[in-house]
Amino acid sequence: MSLYQNYYAQPSYGSQTYTQPPPVANGYHHPLTPPQAAYSVDPATFRRDFSARLSQLTVNSRPIIQGLSMYAHDYVRFAEIVAQCLEAHIRAVPPWVKLPSFYLLDMISKNIFEPYARLFSTFVIPLFLETYQQVDEATRSKMVELVLTWRTGSPTGKELFGVPAQVQIERSIWGETSSSSASSHPSSGFIAKAQVLSELEFTLGQKERAVQANPSDATSQNHVHVLQQLRRLIEAGVSQDELKQILSQLRTLMRSNPPSTASQPPQVSNTPVPSQWPSQPYTAPQSYPQTPSYPYAAYPSSKTENTVSSSSASVPPPSVATVPAGGFADLLSSLVKSGVLSNTGTPLGAGATAKEDTLHSINEEQEASRTYRSFVLRHPIQLSTAGITRGRPPIAETLYDHLTSQCKQCGIRFSDSVTGKKVMEEHLDMHFKQNMKANLNVGRGHSRSWYTGIDDWVHDTVDRKGKGRADGSRPLSGKAAAAADAAKRDAELRAQFVVVPPGDEAKPISCPICKETLKSEFLEDDEEWVWRNAVKKDERIYHATCRAEALTNTLASRLLNTGRSRSVTPETQVLPSKKASPSPESLVGVKRKAEDIDSTLSQLEGTPPSKKLAIAS
Amino acid sequence: MFESETATPRQWVLELESEYRFEVEAGSSCAITLVKGRAEVFGAELVEGKPYVFGSECKAAIFTWLGCTIEMTLRKLHGSPVPEGEPEGSTEPPRVLILGPENSGKTTVCKILVNYAVRSGQGWAPMLVNVDPSEGGWAVPGALSAAAISGPIATCSTANPLGSAATSAPTTLASNALLPFAYWYGHDDTKKNSLLMDRLIRNLGMHIDDRLGNDPEGRTAGVIVDTPSSFASGPGATTEHRQKLIKACIDAFQINVILVVGHEKLNVEMQRAYGSRLTVVKIPKSGGVVELDRSYRERVHNYQVHNYFYGEVIAPPPGVKSATQGGETLTDLNLAPSSTAVNFSDLKIYRIGAETMAPSSALPIGAARVVSEMQPVAVDPSQPGSGLLNAILAILAPFHTDERERYDEEILDLNVIGFVVVTNLDIAHKKMTILSPTQGSLVGRTALIGSLEWQE
Repeated sequence: MSLYQNYYAQPSYGSQTYTQPPPVANGYHHPLTPPQAAYSVDPATFRRDFSARLSQLTVNSRPIIQGLSMYAHDYVRFAEIVAQCLEAHIRAVPPWVKLPSFYLLDMISKNIFEPYARLFSTFVIPLFLETYQQVDEATRSKMVELVLTWRTGSPTGKELFGVPAQVQIERSIWGETSSSSASSHPSSGFIAKAQVLSELEFTLGQKERAVQANPSDATSQNHVHVLQQLRRLIEAGVSQDELKQILSQLRTLMRSNPPSTASQPPQVSNTPVPSQWPSQPYTAPQSYPQTPSYPYAAYPSSKTENTVSSSSASVPPPSVATVPAGGFADLLSSLVKSGVLSNTGTPLGAGATAKEDTLHSINEEQEASRTYRSFVLRHPIQLSTAGITRGRPPIAETLYDHLTSQCKQCGIRFSDSVTGKKVMEEHLDMHFKQNMKANLNVGRGHSRSWYTGIDDWVHDTVDRKGKGRADGSRPLSGKAAAAADAAKRDAELRAQFVVVPPGDEAKPISCPICKETLKSEFLEDDEEWVWRNAVKKDERIYHATCRAEALTNTLASRLLNTGRSRSVTPETQVLPSKKASPSPESLVGVKRKAEDIDSTLSQLEGTPPSKKLAIAS
Repeated sequence: MFESETATPRQWVLELESEYRFEVEAGSSCAITLVKGRAEVFGAELVEGKPYVFGSECKAAIFTWLGCTIEMTLRKLHGSPVPEGEPEGSTEPPRVLILGPENSGKTTVCKILVNYAVRSGQGWAPMLVNVDPSEGGWAVPGALSAAAISGPIATCSTANPLGSAATSAPTTLASNALLPFAYWYGHDDTKKNSLLMDRLIRNLGMHIDDRLGNDPEGRTAGVIVDTPSSFASGPGATTEHRQKLIKACIDAFQINVILVVGHEKLNVEMQRAYGSRLTVVKIPKSGGVVELDRSYRERVHNYQVHNYFYGEVIAPPPGVKSATQGGETLTDLNLAPSSTAVNFSDLKIYRIGAETMAPSSALPIGAARVVSEMQPVAVDPSQPGSGLLNAILAILAPFHTDERERYDEEILDLNVIGFVVVTNLDIAHKKMTILSPTQGSLVGRTALIGSLEWQE
């Protein structure tokens, strides 16, 4: 982003910007270097050059996109040609290269705005929707992120392509929902959970990046936390009203979000950087999360406070934190008010909230099934041949009047109660996901699965209500879940490391528990030698996995306490693995204890601990 | 039947509580759209405006409680109003055994009961058990199986009358991605080895009980057991055999309601035997039931095995667009099985009991059987007459991992993880070609052969 600031701050940027023109395929003169470009003013030449450069845009490359965007900026007088070329390009290329072109369209409209946004708005709706139909799931979510930035994409913080366009696109994506972004308060109507979730994901993504860029930014961290909590809530299922609340709060928040330039590395003067551009991909929202509000800062006409917060880029969080804090405070307080969040504690009380929520819904469910039972039992039907052939229960009432809403895809009916609506929503979400999956999977071979084994089948009871298979995957059985859990724990343990003290790199050191050498490894990022899967405890280095294993065993923890008597110095010699060497009498007592533990563990598990973990993972 | 031009749809207005019955001819299909009103197929409700296709000689009926208009593209038959009765209603969860002679509509009754339970909106997922080895259920003919049903079972083809076992394809309906639990009996006739039937029924019951023990809500939804017609009637000499198997079912599934479909004699018999401790109800046989002959049943077997390996895509009648097949909008319902050559030694194959076995009662007095009915006999593929070519084999779950838990007859109690067909035997090279539902090595597995065969 720094580039853009330079770009606007320095209207007279020179040819440095173009020191890296994309290679021209046919080598036909060099119209792309600015000096020449400046002379070749005739529209036909411009069209040819622009198209040629556009045709390079087949991958998501930031330099190319930025270059094209600047090119468009230089030749605003040919804006119409730019628009035509871009439209033709997006229409012509195969679906998987359309996204980068949309990024270009996005960048040009946001950063130059007039007249491009106006010109693009004439074709952007059909083009976007058409593309949205053609691309895969991953690209779609990227496109949705893009659309979300358009809500506030104009220099004045309004809809980039105007309210009607925004509404139309959002409607087509999320269906006939109340996505009217014209007002920050969604009008009444059905709000899809998916929509709220994707907007939330977007905001969350921005915040997470902010935290990544500036780990000490406590405010953003808090925001991430709150948003994650919200996401859990929404996933667990909340009512329409609550969804509406959350959505409107999220939108207000996104609007009031100040340029999060704070999250960017400090600004580096005005030195042009083009030649050092890393050829990293341009990922619209990721790489410029501040986009929605960026033009504020860029345009001299925009409000001063924004410029201030933008220029305070490198100032540590507190000063920046004020505005979003307000937004989040609002979000939280209003959510508390609406009862979405528990008001008993800090925003961190997510667990309690979720619990309360579940309790609440369980009560509702019980109530509903009680009602159903009393309704059904009201009709005296004898379970006898005469009873069932003569009895005429109120069929229409049971089947249709009590279950008023029908799924238009598979015919299943749901009651009109709060619980029923929730179940139906989950059901529709399931269809949505399955349809997505089906579209992705077209042409891929499918096959009949093997049946499950006894244990899995006996314990596979999550399936009920079709909830378990909402994502089409088999619900994890108790066993599988335990295995997954173990694998996760193991991965976490293995990720731990201890930095090797300088000078000790070459020294072999072995884990006191398993006697195997700790492997040292060079960490590129930190530029340090480390021991992987290691923890330091009482001046001794252990395998993190071995220690965790040992800690669960009382015998082993006794050893750890008595183990102090052993030499602290890392052993210089690796003992052969215990299986290979039957413990000789000469071994010191403590060592034998260690052996005992190992054998106890392996007896318990059937395999040596390290192997067992490998299997579990 | 192939018609070159677009068939003109015909509309029918159904009076309330009447049904429209139809049969699809071999090799053809039909599409039915609910134009107005409400209608269902064996309890599974239809969505208005969506064409539903039917194929593979499917015989079904569109029923309406309140009256409706349907539109049918292609073929046949007339509708006649037939009232239907719905049972159920007790303090105890219903555990229903459905008995009835051949062609009485037992499976359809099961399906209707399950569909109505699912439809209540109470989140019930009743356990549907199929102990009729001549009916494929979610497996292939020859298997006994059970599955919890959480969504309505659609009817569109004879190939998967009770919904479909899970595949790797994403499906819309829960009942098209079922996780069944199956045992291999291996024959379509229950009399062939009734000792084995008895044992498998009890095993099935035990595991269902285990599962429902973990799942109070599942228990509430009830158990519905479909039985073969041989339980209901047969020559006098087989009475003992029938009664033993019915008893096994009642014990194993803790049955509390017996529904006898249209068979007065059996109803009386059941009343006498069990009337004191459980409810026996006779329900009339639907007038819509179609008499099926032997060759039809054989064709249905073929459809079912083919469907297990290859899935099924019914070509809609010309002119019908965006139709749904058993509730699935997906057109990609073809499955890709894998055909591999394996060494004879890779797969241990057993047969339970001797290949051709006269019932014990038919043996000369005093003569003892050389091979008992329950003894696993290893099958040597290199011997001529092994019967392996074209045989359907059931691949069994692995033996118990703990050696100490093993026992001689364990093989009889192992559940099935899938089925394969031997498509070629190369005795000279000691190799055989196997059609398997999915990729993956079968080396070291144990398989059981029965008397069922299949050829593409």
